[in-house]
Amino acid sequence: MSEICEVIVDGEIHEAKEGSLLIDLLIEEGVKIPYFCYHESLGADGNCRMCMVGIKGEKRPQIACDTLIKKDMEVFSNTDVIKKVRTDILELELLNHPVDCPICDQAGECSLQDFYMDYGLHESKVEIEDKVKNSKHVDLGSSVVLDQERCVLCARCTRFTTEITHTNELGIVGRGDSAKVTTMPGRELSNPYAMNVVDLCPVGALTSKDFRFSQRVWLLETHNSICHGCAKGCNIYIDHNKLKYKDDVIYRFRPRKNLEVNGHFICDEGRLSYKDVQENRQEFSTFNHIEVEQDIAISKFKNFLEQHHKNIHILIDANLYTEEIEAILEFAKSIKAEVFSPLEVYTDEGFADDMLKCSNRASNYKTIENLNISTENPNNSELIINFNHPQNFESLMQIDFCTHKSDTNSLVFAIAAFTENEGSLTNVDGITQQTQKAVKKNNPQPSIIEWLTRIDL
Amino acid sequence: MKECKIVSRKFSIEGSHTLEVAKHHNAYRSLEKRGEFTPTQMIKIIKDANLRGKGGGGASAGEKWELMPQDGDKPSFLAVNCDESEPGTFKDRQIITYDPHLLIEGIILTCYAIKSKHAYIYIRGEYKEYQDILQNAIDEAYEDGLLESCDITIHRGAGAYICGEKSALLESMEGKRGHPRLKPKQKEPEWFFGNPTLVNNVETIATVPFIIQNGSDAYREYGTHCSPGTLLFGMSGHVNKPGVYESEFGVSMLEYIEHFGGGVKNGKKLKAVIPGGVSCGVLTARECKDLTLDYEAMRTAGSSLGTGGMIIMDEDTDMVAVLKNILEFYHEESCGQCTPCREGTGWSDKILQKIVNKRGTKKDLEKLFELADVMNGKTICVFAPSVSSVLISFITKFRDEFERAVS
Amino acid sequence: MSFTFNQDDLNKIKELKTRYPSPDALCLPCLWMAQTKEGYISIDAIDAISEQIGLAPMQIYGVVTFYTMFHLQKPDRLQVDVCKTLSCKLCGSDEILKHLKSKDVYVNHVECLGSCGTAPMMQIKDKNYENLTNEKVDAILEELL
Repeated sequence: MSEICEVIVDGEIHEAKEGSLLIDLLIEEGVKIPYFCYHESLGADGNCRMCMVGIKGEKRPQIACDTLIKKDMEVFSNTDVIKKVRTDILELELLNHPVDCPICDQAGECSLQDFYMDYGLHESKVEIEDKVKNSKHVDLGSSVVLDQERCVLCARCTRFTTEITHTNELGIVGRGDSAKVTTMPGRELSNPYAMNVVDLCPVGALTSKDFRFSQRVWLLETHNSICHGCAKGCNIYIDHNKLKYKDDVIYRFRPRKNLEVNGHFICDEGRLSYKDVQENRQEFSTFNHIEVEQDIAISKFKNFLEQHHKNIHILIDANLYTEEIEAILEFAKSIKAEVFSPLEVYTDEGFADDMLKCSNRASNYKTIENLNISTENPNNSELIINFNHPQNFESLMQIDFCTHKSDTNSLVFAIAAFTENEGSLTNVDGITQQTQKAVKKNNPQPSIIEWLTRIDL
Repeated sequence: MKECKIVSRKFSIEGSHTLEVAKHHNAYRSLEKRGEFTPTQMIKIIKDANLRGKGGGGASAGEKWELMPQDGDKPSFLAVNCDESEPGTFKDRQIITYDPHLLIEGIILTCYAIKSKHAYIYIRGEYKEYQDILQNAIDEAYEDGLLESCDITIHRGAGAYICGEKSALLESMEGKRGHPRLKPKQKEPEWFFGNPTLVNNVETIATVPFIIQNGSDAYREYGTHCSPGTLLFGMSGHVNKPGVYESEFGVSMLEYIEHFGGGVKNGKKLKAVIPGGVSCGVLTARECKDLTLDYEAMRTAGSSLGTGGMIIMDEDTDMVAVLKNILEFYHEESCGQCTPCREGTGWSDKILQKIVNKRGTKKDLEKLFELADVMNGKTICVFAPSVSSVLISFITKFRDEFERAVS
Repeated sequence: MSFTFNQDDLNKIKELKTRYPSPDALCLPCLWMAQTKEGYISIDAIDAISEQIGLAPMQIYGVVTFYTMFHLQKPDRLQVDVCKTLSCKLCGSDEILKHLKSKDVYVNHVECLGSCGTAPMMQIKDKNYENLTNEKVDAILEELL
C-alpha cells in the first residue's frame, strides 16, 4: 500500500504514497482546496464537505479528506462543476454566520474569509432576522472565548479535547442547524493545552482572551522560534509588531508544526510565556542598581577580574543558545574560571506530562549535558559571573548578565532576550533547532556574544 | 388480489404474541431445518430467494450476509433495525406486537447463518409499548430454552430519525450521538465496537423463517423476478381503511389501494401518493395509473418503493402545505453533521414557511431547486439526497400550485 | 440534589455490561434508567452514569441533547406528545393540537411516531392514543389529570 505512485491533478503529474490521503497531497502541493473540518492532527471527519474534488471514474464529486490515493488516479480541482459545488456549500456555511469580520479577531487569518474570496463573493440571501441566533462571547475558561454564531461546526475543537487531550470538555449539543459547540453547563474548558483550540478553529468562533482586540493580524510580523518554557523545544511562531512611535512588542506565541518535536501544538503556559519575556526587563547596565555607561561597566568588569584570580565561577543559564554557551566556555578558559549550570532550579516534576511538557524547564539543558558542564552548585566562590542563570550563590563579588531585572547589588549587564537574538538549541530528545531573531527593540540590548566581544580581554 | 401471508400469517390470531399461541400455530418450526444446512448454505438460500432488505433500501440481504466473516477471530453481531421512523411507515410495529416470536425465530436463524452469538434489537424510543410486548416474548423464549444459541438484547433509542440509518444506529448503540459514519471504500460489514455486524430490518429478519422452512423457490413464487416475495405494504392519509396489509410485489398500486384500503376517503379523487415513506418522491394520480408496487417499477417512475408505506392524498390536498410539513420533519431530524444537510434542510424549511405565509417569491422557488441540488450527493448519508428528491418531485409535479403560492 | 443509582439499578447495569462488547453501549440504557427514575436527566445523573460506564460527562451530555426524548428539565405538567407529521396532519392533527392548547398540559409537537394508520395520535407516558377526536382527547385527559 505504501508504494509511491503517480497521480494526475488538474493535468499535472504528482507523486504520492498509494493509500495516503488525497487532501494531504493537495495541501502539500499547494493545490487550492478549501476545507474546515480536516486537520492533519485530527484526521478526516468529513463533515464540512468543502474539499470536494472530481475524480475520474466517479459519478459524483468526492471529498478529498476521505479519498485514498490510488495509482493513476486523475483528480480535478478546478472544473466548473467543482467550483460550483464549493460555492454552493460555502454559501450554506455562511448562511447563519453573522458576517461580523470588522470586529472579529480571526479576520485576516480566517478560512471562511479566504474561501469566500475564492469561491463565494455572493450576496447574502437571508434576512438578518432569519438567521439562527446563538450565544456570543461565551467564556469557556482557559482564556478561550466562544462565539457560537461564527462556528461552522467542523468539530476540530471537540475532537481535540476528545482525541488529543482526552479531557472531553467540549462537545456538540443539539442537532441540525441548532447544533452548537459548548461545555457542560457550569463547567469549563480546562486543560494545559486548551488554547490550541483557538489555532485549530478555522473561523472566529474560538478566540483567545489574551489576544482578543489587541492587534489586527495583518499588522503582525511573524518569525520562527523555539519555546523556552521547557526542554521539549516546541516550535513556535513569534507574532510581533512595532507600532509607530512605540517599541517592538510580542502579541502572541503560536505553535509551529514540527512532527518530530511538538506536532501541531504547544502548551498554554509556553504560549503565554511571551509576556514574561518582555516584562520587567533589564534595560541598561547597572552597578548597585544605578545605571552606568557601557564603558564604565566594562572597565569595572575588568577591574573585578583583576582583583580575583582564584575561585572564579561562571554560571550559565541552560536556556542560552548553544553558540552563547560555547562563547562563554571560551571566555571561561581564558580567565581560568570554572563553569556551572546548576540543574536543580530547572527541575519541576509537577509541570511534566506525557504529551509535550517536560520536567526539565530549560530549553538547552541538553547542550549543557553534551558539553559536560557541571550541573552542581558552585562552592567557595570568590567571583561569580552569572550569565542569566536564575539562581544566585554566595560569593565575594558578583557580575550578572541579565535579560530581566536583578535585585543583586552587583554589576549588571543587560542582555538581549532569546526573542531578540538567534541561535540553536538542543532539546530533550537531542534534536537541534534554530531560532530566528524576531524582535527589534528601539533600545536593543547586546547579546552575550556581543558583550564578550566588547569586553575583549 | 392474491392472499399472501408470509410475515403477517399470525397477525389476526388472538394472543399470537404469546409463545403458547404462536407455537400452536407452528412458530419456531423452521428451527428444525437449521440442522440441515451449514451457515454458508443458509446464506445461499437467502441469496437465492433474492430476499431484499425491507427497511427501505431493498438491497440483497444475502449479499449483505455474505460480507460477514465465517471464521473471524472477532465476535460477529446482528443488529435488528426496529427504528421505524420513516413517516408513513408502521409495519415493524405490527410484527413485534402481533408476532414477536416470528422475529425471534428469524433472529435465531440469522445468527446461525452469520455465526453470531448475540443479536440486538434497536427499537425506537417511542415504541415502548411494543417494546414491552417484544421483551415479554424474548423472556418467554429464554425460558423455553430457545435462545441457547444466541442472546437477544433490546436496545432502546430515544428519538432520532437518523438512527434508522445503519451506521448511525450502530453509533447510537455505541453510546454516541447518532451520526452516520463515512462510507467504507470497499464492501464490508458494518462494525459495532470494531466487530463485524449485520444490520437488517425487522421485517427482513421476520421473512427468514418462511424462506428457510419452504425454500427459496417458495418465496420466489410471490412477487416479480427482480422483486420477489412480499412486503408489509401500508396505507395512511386519505384512505378509507388505513393499515398494513401484506402483499406480493408487483401488484397494481391503485388496485392495492382499492382492495385493501377501500379507496380514497369520502369518495374523493386521488391526487397523489408518496409511495414508501416521505423520503420517496411524490407521484401524481396519473403517474400511479398502471404503476406496480415493486422496486423496479418505482425506480422507472422516478420515485422509490422505500418501506412500502404509502401516504395517500385526495384532490383537496394543499401540496405546498404538505411539502412544508415534510421539510419541517427533515429540518427537525437532520443530525447536523454535514453542512449541506444541516443548513440546507433548515433553509428550505424557512423558505417554505415564507411561501406558506404568502411572502414567497419566484426566486424562492428557484432557491429551493438550488438547495435541492446542493443537498444531492454531497453528504455522508442519503438523508439530504432524499430531501433533495422530495423537493424536486413536489415542486416539479405540482408546479402550478407552487407558482400560485408565490404570486 | 444528587443522583444515585440504587442497588437494583447497579445490578441491572452490571448485567447489561455482560451483554455488550464495551460499557460505552450502556449510555442510552443508563440514561433511560435515570429519566425513568426522576422524570428528567440531571447533570448529577450524567456524572453518575459517567462513573458507571466511563464515557466523559460531556460525551453523555452531547448524547442527551441529540435525542428528543431525553429532557434536561423536570417537566412541570403532564407531557403530551402529539405527532404533527404528514399522515397525522392529513388526518386532522392540527385540530387536535389546537384543542390540546386549551388544556393544562405541556403539548410537545413531535415527528412521526409510527401511528400513521391510526392517525391522528398522541403519546402520553409511553402509551399511544390513536384515532383521536377532540372528544376522545377530553376523555383521555380527564382520566389522566
